[in-house]
Amino acid sequence: MSVQDTTTNALTTAGTPKGGRSRTALSAVLDTDEVQGLVARGYGRLPNAAFSLYTVTHAPSAQALLGGWADEVDTVGRRNAVAALDVALTAPGLLALGLPPAQLAGFAPAFVEGMVSPHRSRILGDTGENDPSTWAWGGPRSDAIHVVVLVYAASAEGLAERLAELDARTTGALRLIVRHDTDVLADREPFGFADGISQPRIADPTAAEPTDIPPGEFVLGYRNAYDQYTWRPLLPPSADPDGILPLDVEGSGARDLGRNGTYLVFRQLAQDVDGFWEFVRNRTASPGSDSGDDTGTAEHLAARMVGRWRSGAPLVLAPDHDDPTQRGRDFVYAPDLAGLACPRGAHIRRVNPRDSLEPVGSSRADVDRHRLLRRARSYTAPRPDNEGPSRGLHFLCLNANIARQYEFVQHTWINDPTFDGLRDDADPLLGPARERGRTFTVQARPVRHRHRNLPAFVRVRGGAYFFLPSRSALRYLATVN
Amino acid sequence: MPHQVALTVRGPLRPGNEVEGALDTLQGVLSPGKGDFAALGSVHFARVFLLPGDDTLAVGPTLVYMADVDAPVEAHLRRLAELDDGALATVLACWAGYAEGDLAARVSWLCAHRVPAAATYVHQIGRDLDRVLAEAELRREISDYLDGQGWEDHTDVEVHRAVRGFVASRPDLTWALDAPAGTELLFRLRESTHAVGVLALALLALPVITPLLPAWALAIALREARDVPETEPADPAAVARLLAIEDQAVQNPFTAAGTIKQGMVRAVTMRTVLLGLDWACRHLYGHEDLAGVRSIHFARWVPVDDGRRMIFASSYDGSQESYMDDFIDRLAWGINAVFSNGEGFPATRLLVGGGARDEQAFKNYLRRHQLPSVWYSAYPTLSARNIDDDTRLRDGLRRDLGTRAAQEWLARI
Repeated sequence: MSVQDTTTNALTTAGTPKGGRSRTALSAVLDTDEVQGLVARGYGRLPNAAFSLYTVTHAPSAQALLGGWADEVDTVGRRNAVAALDVALTAPGLLALGLPPAQLAGFAPAFVEGMVSPHRSRILGDTGENDPSTWAWGGPRSDAIHVVVLVYAASAEGLAERLAELDARTTGALRLIVRHDTDVLADREPFGFADGISQPRIADPTAAEPTDIPPGEFVLGYRNAYDQYTWRPLLPPSADPDGILPLDVEGSGARDLGRNGTYLVFRQLAQDVDGFWEFVRNRTASPGSDSGDDTGTAEHLAARMVGRWRSGAPLVLAPDHDDPTQRGRDFVYAPDLAGLACPRGAHIRRVNPRDSLEPVGSSRADVDRHRLLRRARSYTAPRPDNEGPSRGLHFLCLNANIARQYEFVQHTWINDPTFDGLRDDADPLLGPARERGRTFTVQARPVRHRHRNLPAFVRVRGGAYFFLPSRSALRYLATVN
Repeated sequence: MPHQVALTVRGPLRPGNEVEGALDTLQGVLSPGKGDFAALGSVHFARVFLLPGDDTLAVGPTLVYMADVDAPVEAHLRRLAELDDGALATVLACWAGYAEGDLAARVSWLCAHRVPAAATYVHQIGRDLDRVLAEAELRREISDYLDGQGWEDHTDVEVHRAVRGFVASRPDLTWALDAPAGTELLFRLRESTHAVGVLALALLALPVITPLLPAWALAIALREARDVPETEPADPAAVARLLAIEDQAVQNPFTAAGTIKQGMVRAVTMRTVLLGLDWACRHLYGHEDLAGVRSIHFARWVPVDDGRRMIFASSYDGSQESYMDDFIDRLAWGINAVFSNGEGFPATRLLVGGGARDEQAFKNYLRRHQLPSVWYSAYPTLSARNIDDDTRLRDGLRRDLGTRAAQEWLARI
């Protein structure tokens, strides 16, 4: 489920080497010792991971923890071969640590308000079965989420060790609300599709390629896609008398709590894997073919909903049957604006429309202002009813402007039933169930085929917006009172 | 086919009014395509809102009613005046001196309180409400008909022909085989005269204006250097009130008001720009496209208080975030030319540079000046592009099509 990948493939899990970018190039762009490692990499070489969500129970101890983590977190410039740790906080978490409420004002409004206001639920599609009141965590019925600690390790044993250590250190400072275990990183998401294929690359201004995205889209305190600096928490110098924080790069004299930090979006998305495959089998006559032509099969319908075959080969390049040699190849929609190969409402076409949006001439530039760095991992959790495990995705993504990036993608591309001139077609994988029924339209000649009344294949089980601070910001937060 | 009219009625509040409660009640009973607004007939979009007063202008708070209606507007005013009970009537009764009168008195009150728009944008001039709804219904019928059988063995041309046969066989749909009537003759004459007349006047004025341009540019540049842009984000509580009603339909309303910068230079600039904007909207952009943006159904610019303040109101597709991005990415020059004459707008250079291109300052500016409204849409599930496609579908029914044209036609279903 994924979701939201704003790039090409949506179903994404974490970064494969392909999605990353070499350290040398990034170090030319970012303060490598300041930016947490998650910005640079999805930890493809650390396949074991667990995400722990906490409430602050004793602020001074929690601050001491943050101060310690400031020295231990993985950074862009410092890669640990056996384990990594990243830390992020919610707005209530910042307040619980003692940040004065006035200093919250410069953070993104979406972050300050949180993920579960009624309006936000409307634009994110968190209504009906996805309503935050039904969430396992992050909703109004669960304990407040203040801190998330992402731990990655090369081995399962290494992960267990790190978690035991984490538990010992957090005792008395933080109370664990929920710990999300993840599957050992593989190249498939739970529906069975190849994952982690395409990610936006952060531009190196000294050697920018046209497809690269300015660093300010993903890290605060750098120039963004409008060649401007995204709104961020700038503090009066008196708030930071020791000068822990860097100065505002725009020269205002303020101390920049945001620089080298960014926003982390975390959504737990349960995927109805059986329901998905049952649906595509029920809606297709022939189960499959040995002739090499998969037209009209269940596999084909599933691929059309995703926009890629299971191997990751995009339908635009492989319209009739899966062709693993096409996996990971770059492509454009120009030859298929009508959607005859890849339906216009297909998942990957919505999360990253590339060159396909009107007006087509500026589509690329428009789309590039709505990109996300995806850092998702899949999970398999036992269910109490013995009905087989529940599967899904811990969707994580990074962006500097939640409203213009994550929420725009979720609202305007994934959930909008009129996306690209369609009518009742929300995203076929991620779209929430709707009263009027959800349609998936497969463009065809002479007549398009409408699959009506799609059930929901994905359910939101929890979510929150986090701030992923720089190391300096962690140190600063350890000292506020 | 009637043309559309941007009706604005603005009036002061009577003493002891409970307008905020009345607006809340109206919001509570609001129902897309139904209710008080639908009963008025021929209303595409409508809104009512409180325009705050302005102490420096010595103007108190006023209640504003806006509707995008099909001509004749007199019929609409009469139906509005006939409303005697219901939530909308209760809101309008907050106008001072309105509800007390009989029908004729109310109609003349409404006429007396009409405020003309300086510029009006209509996504498709002359496509009245009945036609929008009928063409949407036609598309649903055609769609269901096509779903009813397999077409794999047919060519595009054959399928198109079959659909024409289907429509012809349905007495309730045969209207679609005829071309829609054009707008009223008088309206067309008026518009042609305007198109040519304003252009001619502009050409005549050119020799006079051109030598003055450097002086004007200098005057604007000097003022821009002194202007103080607002940079603060909007009050979160005010934004929360706006968000409470946003993103309920495919479309959203945008309503904002601002004060025009002091002085003759700004006033003349504003008037000239609005004149040009009005001309462009009426004669260049009234066909599914406002300078490259296809997601705006209606928009209007309404000067009030002797031109010292201006109201901008529109109905557009998608979220406000995507709407503002369209402004920045495609319309920044036009937005700047008009709105930079308003106080607090992000810094511009010679009227059209900068300004809205300062993404976050611009988004903050819009939110700061935005007003909450009770807003009604007659077709809340149809994007402007959907409506355009419906019209093309209907237009394609009048003749047999070749293969390519039939393919394009079928792709819109």
